[in-house]
Amino acid sequence: MANKVTIYSTPTCVYCKMAKDFFKNNNVEYTEHNVAEDDSAREEMVHKSHQLGVPVIDINGEVFVGFNKREIAKALGVSE
Amino acid sequence: MYDLIIIGGGPAGAAAGVYAARKKIKTLLIAKEFGGQSLVSPDVQNWIGTKSISGLELAQNLEEHVRSQEGIEIVDGDLVEGVVKSDSVFSIKTKEGKSFESKTVLVVSGSRRRRLGIPGEDKLDGKGVAWCATCDAPLFGGKTVAVIGAGNAGLEAVRDLFPYASKVYLINRSDKIKGDAVTFEEIKKNPKLEIIMMAETKEILGDKMVTGLKYLDAESGQEKELKLDGVFIEIGSIPNVEFLGDLVEKNQYNEIKVDHKTQQTSQPGVWAAGDVSDVLYKQNNISAGDAIKAVLNIHDYLNGVERK
Ligand SMILES: Cc1cc2nc3c(=O)[nH]c(=O)nc-3n(C[C@H](O)[C@H](O)[C@H](O)COP(=O)(O)OP(=O)(O)OC[C@H]3O[C@@H](n4cnc5c(N)ncnc54)[C@H](O)[C@@H]3O)c2cc1C
Repeated sequence: MANKVTIYSTPTCVYCKMAKDFFKNNNVEYTEHNVAEDDSAREEMVHKSHQLGVPVIDINGEVFVGFNKREIAKALGVSE
Repeated sequence: MYDLIIIGGGPAGAAAGVYAARKKIKTLLIAKEFGGQSLVSPDVQNWIGTKSISGLELAQNLEEHVRSQEGIEIVDGDLVEGVVKSDSVFSIKTKEGKSFESKTVLVVSGSRRRRLGIPGEDKLDGKGVAWCATCDAPLFGGKTVAVIGAGNAGLEAVRDLFPYASKVYLINRSDKIKGDAVTFEEIKKNPKLEIIMMAETKEILGDKMVTGLKYLDAESGQEKELKLDGVFIEIGSIPNVEFLGDLVEKNQYNEIKVDHKTQQTSQPGVWAAGDVSDVLYKQNNISAGDAIKAVLNIHDYLNGVERK
């Protein structure tokens, strides 16, 4: 089953880039919302995570704040 | 039993790792994360030999350089929580419950951001309380924010916020701006800025998100409130030394005292370098160079060589 992955990011956020690189290296497809420009995505992110930090990563409905490679790999079922 | 355990993976840790491996010292490097503090910098322009590099790319290069060395062992994603010495052997315990033994230890754990230690700061962390303006400024588009601290980091945070925030307060505890005068003159011209001096921040207000802050106006002795959506805290940094207990001597800023010729600490068998040490200038290149000094001295120590 394919994972449904959404990342809320800003262009200046280093951990967002790390997360996206990790997705690419593991052939994980994802949807990206730039919350610096997209206000409704920002609201959605705050609603899901109850906070303002980026990245917020939604994997099949499970919400992660920040990029912790170990946790994200586990949720995706890929190796680190 | 290792000959050397390196604690940290910033520029100091990476430089130490490369030199230790090339000296064939049996080494373990333990780091929470590779790259160090400038990881979040969009552009590092003084890493010698490289005109311009992002903090992330610099971090990746450092990690790759260490990992390409033969013989070095690496534990990353874990934290050292304790270092104990008994009979000239050091036992090191990590958060994930691992433990290792070594003849020598190099502490290159750097520093982290100083916190205000006031109500609301922890509770609203990430909920309007922010630590990196370069990273998070775009999240505050059209919002009112405050920057606490008027050192260089504070002034730069103000500058990073101007393109996004609709209003920026700069809150300073003393009556002097510590940061660079040229930067201060530049930001002062922006009508979005309001400067509040002699203001001691007492509390960050808000339930689910930041709604304001309370400060003591030292001149009038009155408590005042500001309505805000975000607070950027830029009041300096403190060394990561807690895991050492009182194994080594520290100065008044809690930085590890070292002999600047060898990087030795007060505890035989323990060296320190980079931002965690009492080095005067805290920079990537200096951290790397001082850590190399330490490894060369550790190599001598392990081989029973004493240089005067
Ligand atoms: C935003 C920003 C921009 C900067 N820009 C520049 C610049 O352009 N040029 C420049 O020269 N300097 C710059 N600096 C300063 C520079 O980043 C530091 O001087 C440098 O990172 C210090 O290196 P270090 O290896 O001593 O410590 P750090 O970089 O702090 O690295 C410490 C390492 O130890 C690890 N660690 C900490 N505690 C533990 C523990 N308990 N267990 C295991 N590991 C641990 C950390 O994960 C990290 O890997 C900048 C700093 C910041 C904050």
